Amino acid sequence: MENMIEVKNLTKRFAGCAAVNDVSFTVAKGEVVGFLGPNGAGKSTTMRILSCYLPASGGEAKVAGFDVFRHSLEVRRRIGYLPESTPLYPEMRVDEYLSYRAALKGVGSRRRRARVDEVKELCGLTDVGRRIVGQLSKGYKQRVGMADALVHDPELVILDEPTIGLDPNQIRQVREVIRNLAPKHTVLLSTHILPEVEMTCQRVLIINRGKIVASDTPDKLRTRLQGGREIVAELRGAGADAAQALQQLPGVSKVTTEPDGEWTRYILECGAEDIRPLVFAAAAKSGWTLRELRQEKQSLEDIFVALTRTEQEAK
Amino acid sequence: MNVFFTLWRREIAAYFLSPIAYVFMIFFLLIMGLNFFGVVQALAEGGGNIQVMQAFFTWIFFWIPMLVVGPLLTMRLFAEEKRSGTIEMLMTAPVSDTAVVLAKYFGALVFFVITWLPTLAYVAILKACGAADVTLDYSSILTGYLCTLLVGALYLAIGLFCSAMTKNQIIAMIMGFVLVCGVFFAGIIFSFISRSDSARDIATMFCSVQHMMDFARGSVDTRPVVFYVSSSALLLFATVKLVEARKWK
Repeated sequence: MENMIEVKNLTKRFAGCAAVNDVSFTVAKGEVVGFLGPNGAGKSTTMRILSCYLPASGGEAKVAGFDVFRHSLEVRRRIGYLPESTPLYPEMRVDEYLSYRAALKGVGSRRRRARVDEVKELCGLTDVGRRIVGQLSKGYKQRVGMADALVHDPELVILDEPTIGLDPNQIRQVREVIRNLAPKHTVLLSTHILPEVEMTCQRVLIINRGKIVASDTPDKLRTRLQGGREIVAELRGAGADAAQALQQLPGVSKVTTEPDGEWTRYILECGAEDIRPLVFAAAAKSGWTLRELRQEKQSLEDIFVALTRTEQEAK
Repeated sequence: MNVFFTLWRREIAAYFLSPIAYVFMIFFLLIMGLNFFGVVQALAEGGGNIQVMQAFFTWIFFWIPMLVVGPLLTMRLFAEEKRSGTIEMLMTAPVSDTAVVLAKYFGALVFFVITWLPTLAYVAILKACGAADVTLDYSSILTGYLCTLLVGALYLAIGLFCSAMTKNQIIAMIMGFVLVCGVFFAGIIFSFISRSDSARDIATMFCSVQHMMDFARGSVDTRPVVFYVSSSALLLFATVKLVEARKWK
């Protein structure tokens, strides 16, 4: 597959302090990639370099095969970028603003009207076209910024925290918009909201202290970090020997119990193999009542915390 | 080129979308009206052998707003974009730094011309009041306006340069005002205090008051034209470099 973004040994120093330190990654065409990291990890800086706003101190970055420094205009033609704080001209009307931005980005005058209407529809701005940008709420401004990023139908969309300041309904809409972009456009988005990444992104890049600490699908990250899986079974009528019996099951390394009223929760740490059917069979054989049997998924949040914390502790 | 016109149109529109432009125009025209009134009155009481519009272009009330207008019209242009962050949107669009600087500059220049247009009414008033054609020399009035445009072009370029240096409009305004005053008064002072003739000649080259007197009299010298155009171009070049400077950090 062709690469949309190619970043090699990218470094950016501000007054001697490295904000991005020797970062390398690639994003394939048509991928939706989430960019995660704690505050000040270098997400925005990386995005600003990719969108040609800041130059790198070292290394190279290419978008669609063009170097961001040497062929900056070519790169900028192919990028739709939404900066973190969504800066807009407050004195303009939404229609005016979008049509101005479309013209700037080279959308021909004949197609402009139709494009503006399309992105307004896409971002739920149809009713506010005549409103003045400065008087819109934060959520609407955010959507105007999104519409602006998409107005010239760019190959690559870079969104720096696109859902910040939106209410849950709006967040859902934005997610929908991002998901619909996927096959045709490549998307790189940064966010703090982790479930968001799990829902919208095919791949996650976790960056911490200017370095990429993980890059994989959320699922693979999970198994890689966890090593094995965790199975939770809630049983009633099982005596003290139940823990012992469960311990005998193949692959189980540890069993912890938690009483919950007359029920008891057994947490089994086991290997890569799914032993849920065996747990059920054991319960049926011994006549225990089984209320719940599930495989615990480690959330992306745990992965995030684990990765960024170990990294910090290592320093 | 299309991009330049798109940017340029927005810059001009931005002046009229804010109330400050109208407030500014009112004060500007008020002072110009005062200037015109004062000149007419002084001459009616038996001023020297000088035409009304010639006196208009050289009186002190002409120069006071001229010194302020450049920095005032340009202080917002880059400082505000930097403060609000819209510069990031602007510079990540496929536009060259030069196009942005030129669009902002020519936008300001157009607004400058527009603020001057109503003063043409003074000529019409003189004509309507039956001033003889001897006292209304149209070609020298035209050259007077030409010199106003040239001086304005330089002061706007100074203001734009200062605006590109900072995020703060007030700082841009003060820096611009100091520089404009520096250029203006250096020309006057050195052309008076210089002992040697050659030093005085050089100082006269920079003296806007002297240029204005010549042009308003109808005497067009190409040297001031070259001076204003080239120094404005130099400042615009420096402004482009300032805008690019974010890439050197």
